[in-house]
Amino acid sequence: MWKYTVRRLLLIIPTLFLLGTILFFMLRVLPGDEALFITSGEESVASIEDIEALREAWGLNDPLYVQYWRWLKDAVRGDLGYSRYADRPVVDALASKIEVTATLALLSVVVALAWSLPLGIISALWRGSWVDQTIRVVTAAGIAMPNFWVAILMLLFLVKFFNWIPPVQHVSIFEEPLTALKRLIFPALVIGFRSASTISRMTRSTMLEVIGDDYIRTARAKGLGPYVVTMRHALANAIIPVLTMAGLLVAALMDGAVIIERIFTLPGLGQQIVDATSARDFVMVQGIVLILALFMMVWILVVDLLYAWIDPRIRYE
Amino acid sequence: MQQERVTPQGIMEGGSIGSRASRAKSALLDFGRNHPTGAAGGIVLGVIILLVALAPIISPFRFDRTVGRQLLPPMSQATLEEGTLWIGSDELGRDVVSRLLYGGRVSMFVGIMAPLIGVAFGTVLGIASAYFGKVFDLLVQRLVDTVLILPGIVVAMTITVAFGFTVPVVIAALAVSYSASSVRVVRSRALTLSGMQYVEAARAIGSTDTRIIFRHLVPNSLPVSMVLIAVSVGAAITAEAALSFLGIGIQPPIPSWGNMLTRAQQSFDLAPHIAIAPGMAITLVVLAINLFGDSLRDVLDPRLRNVR
Repeated sequence: MWKYTVRRLLLIIPTLFLLGTILFFMLRVLPGDEALFITSGEESVASIEDIEALREAWGLNDPLYVQYWRWLKDAVRGDLGYSRYADRPVVDALASKIEVTATLALLSVVVALAWSLPLGIISALWRGSWVDQTIRVVTAAGIAMPNFWVAILMLLFLVKFFNWIPPVQHVSIFEEPLTALKRLIFPALVIGFRSASTISRMTRSTMLEVIGDDYIRTARAKGLGPYVVTMRHALANAIIPVLTMAGLLVAALMDGAVIIERIFTLPGLGQQIVDATSARDFVMVQGIVLILALFMMVWILVVDLLYAWIDPRIRYE
Repeated sequence: MQQERVTPQGIMEGGSIGSRASRAKSALLDFGRNHPTGAAGGIVLGVIILLVALAPIISPFRFDRTVGRQLLPPMSQATLEEGTLWIGSDELGRDVVSRLLYGGRVSMFVGIMAPLIGVAFGTVLGIASAYFGKVFDLLVQRLVDTVLILPGIVVAMTITVAFGFTVPVVIAALAVSYSASSVRVVRSRALTLSGMQYVEAARAIGSTDTRIIFRHLVPNSLPVSMVLIAVSVGAAITAEAALSFLGIGIQPPIPSWGNMLTRAQQSFDLAPHIAIAPGMAITLVVLAINLFGDSLRDVLDPRLRNVR
């Protein structure tokens, strides 16, 4: 188990290296650079000599492999470069944003699971009833509705009918958990709703497969109550494929976070990457993408380890 | 129970009597009988495709023409031109119905082309990866892993910002994610196939690699690819809408269901229809596609139930 975990953690390194390399060259061959973008925003028009001087000073005129080597050397030491646009080191600029996005993503997972597992189980147990039908229609609609549209509608209804205004000041969840939670709960509901729809449909179908099995009949026959049969016997076996799905869904959650942060004006990685790409702040884009990738890989590893915890038959060598 | 006995073979055997046309007709009827929701989805989808395809003929106004005051409510009269604004006008005084129709052309085109191109590319790459194996396979797999650990929208965003906000670039940007995920699925299918006896037999009689790939492996992987395309179109339409909504996809004045929503947030108090109409259009289309795609998957390849 430990050996497996360590090996998986080590595998993260080549993937990050490959990703970083691809991104570096893809972003550098494009027309336009930081020097051009920053000077174009100023009141006084910068002369070509000024721009050239900036490029020279920032090392943008060096051959690409020299720049790559410089970037790689720093990245290995955990320094993701200096964003000229934000005028601070990338790592510093992202520290607070990582917290926002990570909290939002985790909260969304909690919302999604809290919502979808009961719905899926009820749907399976009362198969064919009007409750089941309603849940299936709602979840089908939940998958079809674009989450940014749901977010816009939700925000507008909150503002219009409940006078709820998204708080402008950002507070850390570690300092003022309640205030931060109030701010994050609505975006988390929106992001979670969509994933919840997928997971609850999945739970329903896996539960239906399991419920017909012999061991469930045996459990019932030996006199176990319906709760124990459902939760301990059926759910424990039905949840493995659901977990796989939940692992994949984090990608969907991050997708959601990028857009939803924008609508709810949350200062997270999603908001930042949209701004950075528009500003051609390549150093920043690269940093965010690498951090997102790291987050995803660690998440998938955690899900894989969860399998072994839930299903003792699964052993990683 | 009735439903579960109908397999692809069943449909083929049942319809094998009679001409090709009557066989197709009876297959369609079977599909409608066994998958009523899928058939309904297919019909709704067909109607919408017809509507957006005929946009230049049936749309009441041009999509970029100001025809009245801004943010008019539904059912008001156009002031600058003749006609009724069924869903009102938008923030620049343009007819929302016309923009929905023209926007649908762009959204549906991108939504269908991106998975089509992506999965086609992914199918070839997946089969090649399974067939040639070794270093090539390893490289392809690492590349696929790299793309798949990133949120799709981030991949697409980096590409559109880099290469411009035009329709072909948006299609390519979205296609990358679909090709990566289809490489995985098709590769595992092709691995099973290349172990089959007829592939061995083909190799024994001296078939070239190209022939084995294109005559045996590709046709046998096609059902998988078709299902992958069908279940991805809905997601692709949503993804395009998200990109355009953020301002890094299809750019105005070309309308798309996504960029019609960009300004919706500011004018919701005066004109909720601007926010509601495009979102409803996306939801309806995606719902129809998902219902249709799910049924298509059950018919073509029931084992793919867990594919996203």
